[in-house]
Amino acid sequence: MSDPVSTPALRKLRFHVLRHDPRDATSVPHFQTYEIEEAAGMTLFIALNEIREQIDSSLAFDFVCRAGICGSCGMVINGRPGLACRTLTQDLPADITLAPLPAFELIADLSVNTGKWMRGMSERLETWVHSLQGDPDLRRLEERMDPDLADRIYELDRCVECGCCVAACGTARMREDFVGAVGLNKIARFSLDPRDKRTDNDFYELVGNDDGVFGCMTLLGCQDVCPKDLPLQTQIAFLRRKMARTGLG
Amino acid sequence: MKVIYTDVLVIGGGLAGLRVAIGARRRGHDAIVLSLVPPKRSHSAAAQGGMQASLGNVIKGQGDNEDVHFEDTVRGSDWGADQQVVRMFVNTAPKAVRELAAWGVPWSRVRQGDRDVIINGQKVTITERNEAHGLVAQRDFGGTKKWRTCYVSDGTGHAMLFAVGDQAIASGIPVHERKEAVALIHDGSRCYGAVVRDLVTGELTAYVAKATAIATGGAGRIYRVTTNAVICEGIGAAIALETGVAALGNMEAVQFHPTGIFPAGILVTEGCRGDGGLLRDANGHRFMPDYEPEKKELASRDVVSRRMEEHIRKGNGAKSRFGEHLWLDITLLGRKHIEHNLREVKEICQYFLGIDPAEKWIAVRPAQHYTMGGIRTFHTGQSRTLKGLFAAGEAACWDMHGFNRLGGNSVAETVVAGMIVGEFIADFCESPEGELDIPMALVREAMQAERAKLDALLNGHGPEQADRIKIEMQQIMTDKVGIFRTGADLEEAVDRLQKLLVRSRNIGLRYKVDGPNPELVTAYRTQKMLKVALCVATGALARTESRGAHFREDYPQRDDSVWLKRTLATWKDPSDTLPSLAYEQLDVMSMELPPGWRGYGAKNYVDHPDTPNRASALASLREKMQGADRHAVQAAVMPYEHLLPERFRGRNERIDEKLP
Amino acid sequence: MNTVFHVTDRSVPLSAKARSRWPARLDLLQSGTGLALGLFMWGHMFFVATILLGKDAMWAVARFFEGYFFFGRSLYWLVSLIVAIVFALFITHAALALRKFPASYRQYRTYRDHMAGMKHEDTTLWYWQVVTGFALFFMASVHLYIMMTRPERIGPFGSADRMWSDLMWPLYLIMLFAVEFHGGIGLYRLALKWGWFERGDPDATRRKLRAFKWAITAFFLVLGVATLVAYVKIGIEHAPFYGQPYEPAWVTGGHQP
Repeated sequence: MSDPVSTPALRKLRFHVLRHDPRDATSVPHFQTYEIEEAAGMTLFIALNEIREQIDSSLAFDFVCRAGICGSCGMVINGRPGLACRTLTQDLPADITLAPLPAFELIADLSVNTGKWMRGMSERLETWVHSLQGDPDLRRLEERMDPDLADRIYELDRCVECGCCVAACGTARMREDFVGAVGLNKIARFSLDPRDKRTDNDFYELVGNDDGVFGCMTLLGCQDVCPKDLPLQTQIAFLRRKMARTGLG
Repeated sequence: MKVIYTDVLVIGGGLAGLRVAIGARRRGHDAIVLSLVPPKRSHSAAAQGGMQASLGNVIKGQGDNEDVHFEDTVRGSDWGADQQVVRMFVNTAPKAVRELAAWGVPWSRVRQGDRDVIINGQKVTITERNEAHGLVAQRDFGGTKKWRTCYVSDGTGHAMLFAVGDQAIASGIPVHERKEAVALIHDGSRCYGAVVRDLVTGELTAYVAKATAIATGGAGRIYRVTTNAVICEGIGAAIALETGVAALGNMEAVQFHPTGIFPAGILVTEGCRGDGGLLRDANGHRFMPDYEPEKKELASRDVVSRRMEEHIRKGNGAKSRFGEHLWLDITLLGRKHIEHNLREVKEICQYFLGIDPAEKWIAVRPAQHYTMGGIRTFHTGQSRTLKGLFAAGEAACWDMHGFNRLGGNSVAETVVAGMIVGEFIADFCESPEGELDIPMALVREAMQAERAKLDALLNGHGPEQADRIKIEMQQIMTDKVGIFRTGADLEEAVDRLQKLLVRSRNIGLRYKVDGPNPELVTAYRTQKMLKVALCVATGALARTESRGAHFREDYPQRDDSVWLKRTLATWKDPSDTLPSLAYEQLDVMSMELPPGWRGYGAKNYVDHPDTPNRASALASLREKMQGADRHAVQAAVMPYEHLLPERFRGRNERIDEKLP
Repeated sequence: MNTVFHVTDRSVPLSAKARSRWPARLDLLQSGTGLALGLFMWGHMFFVATILLGKDAMWAVARFFEGYFFFGRSLYWLVSLIVAIVFALFITHAALALRKFPASYRQYRTYRDHMAGMKHEDTTLWYWQVVTGFALFFMASVHLYIMMTRPERIGPFGSADRMWSDLMWPLYLIMLFAVEFHGGIGLYRLALKWGWFERGDPDATRRKLRAFKWAITAFFLVLGVATLVAYVKIGIEHAPFYGQPYEPAWVTGGHQP
């Protein structure tokens, strides 16, 4: 077996980072350049922390799990949204431009408030199982579910709400109220789940409009940047057909 | 002074915190959750493998029940656990899985008929029962007699966190994001809430509550090599410690996960081994059977981690420029299984190692993983010394894990403790104890004290740099307070950590803004983390025995005659540089399972004088009750059901154990 | 105390206050008109390109749509009617598509910046779809209006005169590119939007569709330019006889002016 960490030629990396503190009246958005030496297996997580530790202790950014699981570190990397923690510098040119995810409220530098946006989306689309009766008797056997159906629901449940799909969506960029692929995927997920007793008509109430599924212009930025490779294109098309039928019916 | 009033203040927005808040809310109490990050980003999401609950749906779990789960957990804990709490836990875990199923968690389900699995390196065909079809499935995990770990592919924690998070939204529970509790407000006997710093604006707000619950997770980041998220810095435990009243229990009990990716420390799930993955050395030799002929790769985590380090010490580690490591081989599971059931693992290998785990082995080495210790509580989750303060999940020492936690028991604890503690918090709020006379002077003083501390950092010109101190602390912990511990190392660690703590009181910031200032955050957190680290190191130094994950090379024996007790650390005075240690004796005579050999690991222990007595008393009781229902026997041996909230009492139905 | 408060009960949705059905209808209408116009364009291109097969072929196609072969004489209003229908589809489609256009300079700027950063083909293509669609508002209207009001002038010479002597060829040249890009991108997007042709692997389908789209666009552009050149050539030759209609050889017995 070979050494797991490959050793590319070490370069000088130049990070051009968009700096801005919207709460500081004197702050003007500008790019600041930091130079660091590349290391083997270096990710943007490692690089940004190195910059903060050694060059600029004021640089704001968000990481939580640093393992590509939690979705905290979405940012625009050389023009495209992605998860910084699992982006290896060896896959990027020596000049790396980093900007905060657009479409979300800026906190400072690379840190944005995806939490607020996602909570708003969840409240608006009611992204939880709506059951008609209350809690089941927890002592009894759980309700059965077809194993394949459970897998299919999980497939859509894997969304980490990182916001990359929203930032990569031209529609969402132009129209603030668009629910984005993340929202449409949630509706697809809950409409698939037999535990959720909402009908297609109920879902139509939520996304049967131009801020919902009919607002999607199929630019597919979402599909191409989704760090979890969710089948967004397929799901949105599926939802569009379903909602169109519901709308006609 | 900005003050926010609520019934229940929950600090921490992971699974435990959210479930506590939902529990309180359902009982009609207002709850506010504070979270450093959006709650769905909490570290609960990283629990890939699964949640233990003795449903016994799969054929390899047939015959499983609370009794088996109880024994596995107590043995896993090396008899450090509170056995009544373990009983409460194992009886509620199946209910938790079923509640989550109703809330939308897409648990992987049993498919009737034949399927191929890898057991002990061999392909085996097992046949699932028709009557189990469509019920929640279980997989194998370390340290368990039965297949008991319920899972959602390999995103169990994620799916659970999103379902519970969405339920919290459905219940209209406000989550105040990017807020950090920096101190508890208390008068020495009663907790009244917390002083909270807004991480965006820097503003301080007092949150005043009838009950305050800490559910901030573990303290993995006091170590350099850890699987924990960067927010797992033990601040919740630290602010409890800083009250000088609340105690931290068993902080020296730190778990190292066998399979952290080398060198980054990112976790690959125990499910890899549970599903049949093997550990190999530099020569490709599968070494675990040499050490643990029975459980092999699936002995408890403390044992496997120790065996791995032992094997590396013998010169069998694979060498790389970052040091030595071993290999995790899951290639034998086949691409289909990996891409379907272990996709998260595949992604991690792909993005962080640049390899395809269906073809190549994964470089692994044990990494800090879990904090068994935490805020010591009663079975209700309430602090034993500070009224109105509760804790749940990894932040708590409830104490169901003792000195070693089983895989799949942590994510289970988060929701189970959340359910149980949520009820007790509601009880507390409804009781006379819960009534609140708000001492506004106390609130003001607490706010002023915190403001002064922050101003001292912001205006100070000390020579010390926060991140340097933090990194040094992490290095000391990884080097000296790791898997193998010695008196000399621990003394050195305690000494150096003390010096660091003194230095940390002299930090000067380069960036002096009180808004979104990462350096300021590092500064005040490092001061707190050092106290937690000192609790770990001093506890470990004092404990001259080996138990569970705490392994002393100079005292390799487990010594029940002296050490069958819980370490309690308190920080009496802010100017102290060491915690004060005290001990809480465990009572062998009330144990359902008296101490003995765990069934794996070294068979090397000294009995407690009471152990033979208890064992014979239990033997005669069991003989007397021969033929009686297992529940009746259990109730006679160690009653616990009266401790559970009413709502969660009652037996659990299984395919083989129908309820009337 | 055991108050039971079912979280999951909080909001069982109310199907009663039914929301407007119009968004669904409008979306379908936009797609439907787009599909109809796109397919019409392909057919149209083949019809006009018959000039490449000779003037007689084109003459026959033109007369065909006038019902000449059914009624023995040209009913020009038939052509006007067809054009009117297309015109109506066109206006409907334009009106609906207008909803998707950037509504302000800010939105426009945002999209341009987004597009520049993303360097993402489908994002960029949408911009060009908007630009070409915008151009078609004017150009297609002019063309359609003329066709509707002067159907009798459709023919090998009539059309050629329009190109050259009426100086319409620059408009047609630009319109050709606009319509082929707009229609090609539009039909491609339509397939993705509704999930047509998706068999298991949406990425593969999309790759194939994209390749197909470019191939079709290239084909029609080549065909279109060749056709345009053919008309211009005839237009130049026919300039002195501006206005004279074409009489096919088998009608005139081989005599041509």
